[in-house]
Amino acid sequence: MRRIALLVFVASTGLLAQSGSFDWRIPRPFPRPAVPADNPMSASKVALGRYLFYDKRMSSNGKESCASCHRQELAFTDGRARAEGTMGELHPRSSMSLANIAYSPLLTWANPSLSSLEEQAMIPISGTEPIELGLKGHEDRFLADIGRDAVYRRLFPEAFPRETPPYTMGNVTKALAAFERTIISLNSPYDRYRYGNDPDAISDAAKRGELLFFSGERTACFQCHGNWNFNGSLRYEGGDSTKAPFLNTGLYNLRGEFSYPAPNTGLYQYTHRREDIGKFRAPTLRNIAVTAPYMHDGSISSLAEVIDHYAAGGRTITSGPSAGIGHDNPNKESNVQGFKLTDAERKDLIAFLESLTDSEFLHNPMLSDPRK
Amino acid sequence: MMWIHTWNRFVVPAAVMLSFAPMARAQTALQSAPSIAVTGAVPQPLTLTAADMANMTRTSVTMKNNGIETVYEGVLLSDVLKKAGMKLGEALRGPTLASYVLASASDGYQVLFSVGELDPEMTDGQFLVADKANGKPLFGETGAFRLVIPKDKRGARSVRLLTKLEVVQLRK
Repeated sequence: MRRIALLVFVASTGLLAQSGSFDWRIPRPFPRPAVPADNPMSASKVALGRYLFYDKRMSSNGKESCASCHRQELAFTDGRARAEGTMGELHPRSSMSLANIAYSPLLTWANPSLSSLEEQAMIPISGTEPIELGLKGHEDRFLADIGRDAVYRRLFPEAFPRETPPYTMGNVTKALAAFERTIISLNSPYDRYRYGNDPDAISDAAKRGELLFFSGERTACFQCHGNWNFNGSLRYEGGDSTKAPFLNTGLYNLRGEFSYPAPNTGLYQYTHRREDIGKFRAPTLRNIAVTAPYMHDGSISSLAEVIDHYAAGGRTITSGPSAGIGHDNPNKESNVQGFKLTDAERKDLIAFLESLTDSEFLHNPMLSDPRK
Repeated sequence: MMWIHTWNRFVVPAAVMLSFAPMARAQTALQSAPSIAVTGAVPQPLTLTAADMANMTRTSVTMKNNGIETVYEGVLLSDVLKKAGMKLGEALRGPTLASYVLASASDGYQVLFSVGELDPEMTDGQFLVADKANGKPLFGETGAFRLVIPKDKRGARSVRLLTKLEVVQLRK
């Protein structure tokens, strides 16, 4: 709680609604997610969104679904450095975890204005730079297909009972968003230790690692990955949203006009302010042990190497097109100054990060492919 | 959001509380118990454990942070200073007003407070030395003791892992 250096602003919550009687099954003491007033939660809508999430007919060639890049066993990431679209095109960035995405006031790595899951869903569905699911121009075929599917013929009317016909792309994204809001991970061993009255839920090494993680005098990890979602920003029912900080961690420091390799210039891509070059949103560290490779471009393969990067106060690349001393990046976050850890402390810190792995979440049957 | 409540309790002397255990074992337990050193320009430097704090005037503060409500219990920092012999209230005047308290954590973190701002008769601020949250002793990343300052807009002064309160008088 102390030394929180996050840039905190009150965001508008006027469009957010109470989630009514929907059974979130959220463990104490965590709050319920905020839900848009025009897309209230319902069990039938979540069920529909779950089918759609795993449905490969949502891609132009039937090869990929949302789940192709967001695999449950990998905390809804894909294990790749860079996501691959249905046509084989590589995305510039790595798939972000969807764990607790309902609590995130902003979405994607660097967009400062994208806050709606309903709007975000259209990017992978119809976006062309890059092509992800590639459905642009194929929406009518897709809607006709699902309108003939027995499961959807039952679920769409249940989820959207006042709409005739209910088979619209708008309702597809509403259902997807409703399902995504149930992708909640709050039952890791660390949660049981910190909030669940189970002092033995994590190892002694993880307990020592917790001290390192939350010490501003040692690693200062929590400065950017603060709060119970470990991402520095929150949105929840009845609360003011905190605005997500965008941070340059000194991952690169290229010579020339841009210190980060194009097209991944971070927040600069949207603001065109030079001080925003290389600034990306801090992702949640929940389930981080299963979401390798790391960073916005998947350029670090292990947690140990991530710690090396931060311990050095930025990454040094000695040769090749990305060569540079990240420590000296002029936009680097002031908290990334480097730190010293013994080998034992390094293991403790990793043990703490591993205690954030929520096995129940990774195997929750309510989040798996409903057709299997 | 916060609620503050103060009460007196645990009037049983510590010696009575420990009478069920052999004295040597009790002393060992006391020696190893986490504590806060109250040092510097105080008439009676002392070391406080949770057992000591249980016998002082207790205060609770309900905080809501990131959607999670927590009830902290402990002792007002002003009461800690009084226990160390400092004169507060009407007696807080003159050179003593040029004093500060340096709160230190076991990891080296430090925060400074003026003595005047800590005195409930000088300000309406509340500065709690907490040893419990939701009825249970503090543990892990908070340490056994932490400061809780309900009216602070940011948490940066809410020193966790609190181990030392040093009073420094600048004007003699």
